Amino acid sequence: MSAARLLPLELVDKCIGSSIWVLMKDTNTELTGTLKGFDDFVNMVLEDVTEIRIRDGERKEVKLDSVLLNGNNVAILVPGGAPE
Amino acid sequence: MPKGQESILDLASSVDKKVTVHFNGGRVCTGTLKGYDELVNLVLSDTVEDMGEGEERKLGLIVARGTQVQRVVDEEGREEIENPFDGDDDEDEDE
Repeated sequence: MSAARLLPLELVDKCIGSSIWVLMKDTNTELTGTLKGFDDFVNMVLEDVTEIRIRDGERKEVKLDSVLLNGNNVAILVPGGAPE
Repeated sequence: MPKGQESILDLASSVDKKVTVHFNGGRVCTGTLKGYDELVNLVLSDTVEDMGEGEERKLGLIVARGTQVQRVVDEEGREEIENPFDGDDDEDEDE
């Protein structure tokens, strides 16, 4: 029985066109938005982005139209976007 | 015919098992390993992020970026033990 296992980048590819929640390496930074595309290095193009910065329990949100996110510091990707 | 992974890490044996992933930068997540690639990108399901001090949050189905993965721990082989250093009378540092 050969298990067609789920490839991580295939899952990211399935997410193109829908919401994705990106958790950066820095535990205080997250983004959520619509994934338009990504490359081999998982640099990403996101639209209708909300950038969430958490500092001392305080949560700050910034809205951005279009973002080219450098994949260098991306730790976790969650298809479906951040919870409301 | 693919040659297969030239990796010292055997993730195949952990598929469908609970694993804890530690990331550069301090994030820690636990979930069921559903997929991986040779760059140690991972797919975990039913993932919970441990935010420290007992705080947790549910993330669900995630992709963990291999470039930021520090270690992958199979939870089934893990067991908490008593501190083996407690009760040492003479607490000598290196002599």
